[in-house]
Order: sequence, then structure tokens, then C-alpha cells
Amino acid sequence: MNQPILTLSDLAFTYRDAPKPALDQINYRHRSSEFTVIVGETGAGKSTLCRCLNGLIPSFTKGRLDGSLRVAGHRESGRPQVYELARIVGLVFQDFEAQLFSTNVELETAFALENFAVDRDQMKTRVEQALNRVGLSGFEHRDPSSLSGGEKQRLAIASVLAGSPSVVVMDEPTTDLDPVGKRDIFRLAQDMRNEIEGIILVEHETEHVLSADRILLMHEGRIVQEGPPGEILADPRNVERHGVRPLQTTVLLSELGLETDALTIQDAATRIRSAGWRVRDSAGEILNSARRREPLDEPRGEPPHETPSEPSGEPRQSVVRIEDLVFRYGEAPPAVDGVSLDIAAGEFVALVGQNGCGKTTLAKHLNGLHAPTEGEVRVLGRSTADWTLPELGRRVGYVFQNPDHQIFANTVRDEVAFGARNYGFSEEEVGEKVDAALAETGLSGRDLEDPFNLTRGERQQLAVASVLATDPEVLVLDEPTTGLDYHGQVAILNLVRRLNESGRTVVMITHSMWVVAEYADRCIIMSGGRVVQDADVRTCFSNPELLESLYLEAPEAVRLGYEFGLVARSVKEIADCLERVEE
Amino acid sequence: MVLYIPSDSLLHRLHPSTKIVGLALLLILTVAFQSPWYQLVILSGVLLLARSAGAFRNLRRILPLMITVLVFSVVSWSLFRRVGDPFWSFGLFTLSAESIRFGFAMGFRLEAMLVSGMVFVSCTKVEEFAYGLRSIGLPFAVSFALSLAFRLVPLFFTRIGTVVQAQQARGLDLKSGNVLQRARKYVPLLVPIFVYAIRDTDLLSMALESKGFGMRGRRTEYLSFPFVWRDYAILGLLLILNIAGWLMPVP
Repeated sequence: MNQPILTLSDLAFTYRDAPKPALDQINYRHRSSEFTVIVGETGAGKSTLCRCLNGLIPSFTKGRLDGSLRVAGHRESGRPQVYELARIVGLVFQDFEAQLFSTNVELETAFALENFAVDRDQMKTRVEQALNRVGLSGFEHRDPSSLSGGEKQRLAIASVLAGSPSVVVMDEPTTDLDPVGKRDIFRLAQDMRNEIEGIILVEHETEHVLSADRILLMHEGRIVQEGPPGEILADPRNVERHGVRPLQTTVLLSELGLETDALTIQDAATRIRSAGWRVRDSAGEILNSARRREPLDEPRGEPPHETPSEPSGEPRQSVVRIEDLVFRYGEAPPAVDGVSLDIAAGEFVALVGQNGCGKTTLAKHLNGLHAPTEGEVRVLGRSTADWTLPELGRRVGYVFQNPDHQIFANTVRDEVAFGARNYGFSEEEVGEKVDAALAETGLSGRDLEDPFNLTRGERQQLAVASVLATDPEVLVLDEPTTGLDYHGQVAILNLVRRLNESGRTVVMITHSMWVVAEYADRCIIMSGGRVVQDADVRTCFSNPELLESLYLEAPEAVRLGYEFGLVARSVKEIADCLERVEE
Repeated sequence: MVLYIPSDSLLHRLHPSTKIVGLALLLILTVAFQSPWYQLVILSGVLLLARSAGAFRNLRRILPLMITVLVFSVVSWSLFRRVGDPFWSFGLFTLSAESIRFGFAMGFRLEAMLVSGMVFVSCTKVEEFAYGLRSIGLPFAVSFALSLAFRLVPLFFTRIGTVVQAQQARGLDLKSGNVLQRARKYVPLLVPIFVYAIRDTDLLSMALESKGFGMRGRRTEYLSFPFVWRDYAILGLLLILNIAGWLMPVP
């Protein structure tokens, strides 16, 4: 029996002035060479727990800490200081922008070593090893701000690894990353597990952590379940109840009434086949005639719009027409390089691609935040050069990635009214528009609350509401699901879908491929400032090789469909295409 | 620093503390003389240094500033300084040979100071600057805070840019209205910016502590710069020039 590296006994923590504990009765032993993943909804206490492990709590963040944390190799005398524990427990944060501060990669990596007074010669070797470990050899003299998101996060990991901690704790390291960036981090975590004593990873995307030794499911400050992935993740309803998106394999298995403990795509497919399920002969027609997506549960007043791929009806009015758009920041190579697009009224378009491929730059042309260097952008039939910025901003609502970039008012109502007031509506009209926007976003009755007291998911809805109050025809959303747990994501996505179904054109930038599959009609893939694929979502997912070559990956449900020779957009579609053949 | 220009020139290769002390000596030297001719010699010398460090690119950026400084100081000192025999006067304004000489001397001095500073920032990285400060005796925390500030300012401006765009997208118009109305329009910018500044600082402090910042006792340095003959030579030369300049009767 090997010795635990970390032992937490009845650990509890209450932030100063908080009414209830953020952590409560945490008992946990981390053994040598273990890879543990922590999942749970926003506010479950995951980050708080991470920060206890290296002593940031209670020495940096104050509050009341009870119980004990024992770290192997650390002499126990009083409350340990962060710099003492830092040698044993390395912590990587979610926000890679805020944790890097040096002017080059090599110095960033050396920082901890300098603090630990490691000799210069040894330091060189360790910096080299750490950078090599995360695949950043050759980047030594680069400025961290010039790296991609994934590279920045790997640098943050290298800077922690260089100090040779026994345990590396990573707090949602992939949240802000594109699919390749994510994959690199998961591979790295996988490779590291044999090299260091332990890894603790907070992660939402359970699909990537099936090889973990243990999953801790947290809820309201407690560890409510603990066990191997096959045990914890095999109950999709329980997982979902705790704010985590369940494995799509288990969802399909449970839909078909089978045992849900086959977690990987191959295992699940095998189980389904051996239980006698086959693809219906009519599967092709089912998928073709399938409405573009699942209807929402709530009845909607207006009928949904038709997809552009459907031949029926006259050509719809074009809302956005982009011709040969080129955009450069200063003298840099073009961020958008010759894009031509046509978006029709009522479409739901997903804009995907790696970090830095020009998605956001392109989107900012739609509301005039950027003006084309070359080419033309026409919105509602008029060139953006002929619109005034405020007028265009009213017609094209733009929801920025992080709601905290714009929330400032004392009440929810004032926040939502801000835009409408700027556009000079009468106070009466503002009132009506605000009421309507609050109703649409489900925030009615919360007018007088302080926006900063809302949850992150509600703040995102508030940001959407504040854009809706100006009654725009087009909505542009930049990664609206980032940083939200599954419930928060579904809430905002359903909101956006409803807005689309009530006639608004939606352009959504996202890294989440399952969001593309289940919510969008049309998918535009960008790479290096150009549009490399522009087709309806099913067509996009019917070419996995192309996606792979663009460093994208079809989401779990779609790949599960591939196993049956289907290009299905959701588990529901797969289930519709299967039938049980009686023996 | 932001204006750093990568190169392998002699100036770039100097020890960081030589750069800092050398800059100080150069600035002191410019104060030693009152003659426009001597100042012109110093200015030419400094421009040669700029040339050798490849700093002309940065000088071009501040060319308007340099021209303004020169014109302004020549004109104003010449007109306002009452020395010698004025050969022309009009109300408050007088002109004399001495005041014109003085005006040019001041103009050249300010130019020399500007150019020296520019040469310094063109050939010194932030971490060299911090290292230099430490090696001339400043505590680590102070030099680190300074270099961090250099680092965070551009980042902070990016954040501000995002907030401004986010509010503009909601129709915030900063250009219209009277002063009071305009001042009030900054509230929607300031609140998110402060929230961000506080949050970022908090996160950064945690990241620093998590890597052992604040540890007591000895600390090692990853960078090391040998102090060699050229450092002695440059500092020696500047020292001699200063001694000579200050001992010499004021020309």
C-alpha cells in the first residue's frame, strides 16, 4: 500500500463574510501516480479545493479553514506558506492570460526555479526539460503574448513543471482553448501521469478523461461521489443533475434501455449491436427529413424558419453579404484574407476554427467595430461604410465573450436599458423594450437585483438581454458558452435558439463542436483568415478527414453515429435511426 | 521594453548595469556645458550611438516630438532670456546673441537627453533593466514590480480596448455631449475596467505565489551577464568625460 501524497481530513473552508461554507467535510487521499479528475457544477467548490491544496487558501485568500491538509514531504508546523507547498504542489490556473508575466518563454519557465534558489546550471537543464515536455522546445526566446492560447497554457504548465512538484493541480486548463489546444493539454496530462506523483485535473469535458483513475463529483462544497470513471460517469442522469454534460455514449445506451457502463464509443457501439440493434433501412430518409434540429420543449408562437439547404420557397432576403473582405491590423499579415459570404435572414450560423483564425475579427465587421481594409461588408442591404456606428450597432447586436467586459450598472434593469437609452428611445419605449428583453431571457422579476450577484450563466443571459433591448435583426455571439457549466450552457443555447426561431439571424462563434452539431444550421470553418468550409452542419460533419486536417473534431455524438455509418447530429437522431431486430 | 529593437550591437551587448549607469552619466554630462557647440558635439555623439544601436527607427517615431522640443526651446529661450545686449526687443520679448546661443544650447541638450533615453530603451529589454537595477543594489521586489508594470501596461490597454468596444457595440457614444455628460459616459467603461484590473491582479498574485514568489532567503538568477572590458571601457570613458566637463571652466 503506497503512502498518500495528499491527505485531506474533514477539510472545510468558508470565505470571509460568506454565509455558508465553500467547502465542507472534504475527505480525500491522493495516492502516488494517481490521475484524479474533479467535476461538478459552477460553485461546487472545485477551484476553492484546488487553492487549498497549495496553501493559497488560507494564506492568500482569507477565511475560516477547518480540518487538516497533510502533504507528504512537507514538515508540519503550523500553517504552511504557499512558497513552501509550491515546491510539492504545482497549480495551473484556467486563465492563461493572467498567469504569464515574463517577456520570454524561457524566463517564464525559470521563474519558480529562481525563487527556489536552484543553481544556474541546473536551472538551464530543467527549463529545457520542462519546455521539451510540453512541446515548446524552440520557443525559448518567444514573447509569451505572441503564442496561441494552447501554447500559452502549455507554457503555464511548463513553468509549474520546471519546479518539479510531486503533484500538478490544473484548474480547468482547457476552458478557453480551441479543440487542438484542448487535445494537446489532455495528451500532456496523459503523458505526465507516469512521470510525476499525481495529477489532479478539474474538467468539464468528461469524454477526455476516461483514462483517469478516479473521478470526484462535487456538489455544494462536498465530494458527493468518488470512484473510477466507469462507476461515476455511467449514470448520465446523475452526472447531468450535477451540472456536467453526460457522456453521449451513456445517454444513447440509456435511451435504448441498455446498461450504461460502456463509456467509450467503441464499447458502446459494440454493446448496442450485440443487443440486437440495427440501423433502419430508412435511416437515410429519417436523417434527411429530420427537422434541422430537435424542437424545443416549449411551444413557440412562430413556425421555425426553413433551412437554406431546403429547396422550397423563394430565395430568402440576404442580411449580411461580405465580398472579398480583407482586414489587416496595422502592417501585420491579414487577419481576414479574402472572405466572401452571404447570410440570409433567419439563419443560425456557427463560425468555427482555431484560436487566431480570424473569427472574431470577421464578426466585428458585422457591427462596424472593424472597417474593411479591402472589400465590402453589406448589412441589411447597405454597406457598413454607409451606416453610422450606433445605428449599425442597434441593428446588429454583438454579445462579447465575457459578460464582465460590459456589466456596470447597479441593477439588472439599468444594465438592460443602457443600450436602448443610448439609442435615444423614449423612456416609455425603453421600458417596453427592457420588459420584453427580460421576458425573453427569463430574467423577468429580477429587475432590481445587482448584476454582480448573478451567477456567471445569468450574467451571460443578462448580456444577451441588454443587446436584445435595442431590438436587433442580427445577433452575433462570441463564444457564449465559455466558462459556463452544462446547465448554464444549455440555458444560454436554448435562449439563442428561441431568439433565432422568433426570426433573428444568429451568428455564433464557438469552439464547442457539439454546440455546432445540435444548435446551428450552417457551419463556416475558418483557417488562417480564410473560409475553408461553408456548408450545412450535416455536410460539414460528413467529412471527418477534412475536420481533422483543420484541427477540429466531430463531437462525441457525431462520432458515435459514424460507428453505425450515420452522420447524425445528436444522440436522439441516432436513436431514431436504430431499430431492434428480434432474434 | 515596448520600444526594444533586437540587435547584436555593442550597446546591446553591454552589461545591464553599464547601460543604466551609462545613461545616467550621459545625462549628467549634458548638464555640464552651456555652449551650443559643446552640446552639438554631445548630441552628434549620442546620435552616432543611436545609429550604431540601430535606434533610428525609434527616433523616427518621436521625430515630431524632437522637432517640437527643439523649435520650442530655441524660440522661447531666445526670446525670454534676458542676457547680454539685446539687439532687438518688443514688449516682453528680447533677442541677444547670448540668449540665442543659450536657446540652441538648451535645445541641443534636451535633444541629447531624449536621444540617449531612446537609445537606452531601444537596446534594453525589460528583464535586463530589472537585472541592472538589482545589480546596482535595488531589492528584488522593487525591480520585479517595475518590470511587471512595463509588462502589464500593454495588457491593460488591450483590456480597455475590449471594454470600449463592448460598450460601443451597445451604442455608447463618447464623442457627443458637454463635458459633464461626457464624463458620465465613462462610468460604463470604468466599472468593468476596475473589475478586470482587480481580478487580473488577484489572479496574477496567486500565480506568482504558486511559483514560490515571496520565499524568504536566497534567490538565484536565470540570466547572467558578464561584466567585461567593454563595460569598463565605456564607463571609464564616460567618467573621464564627466570629470573633464565639470572641471573645465564653463565655456
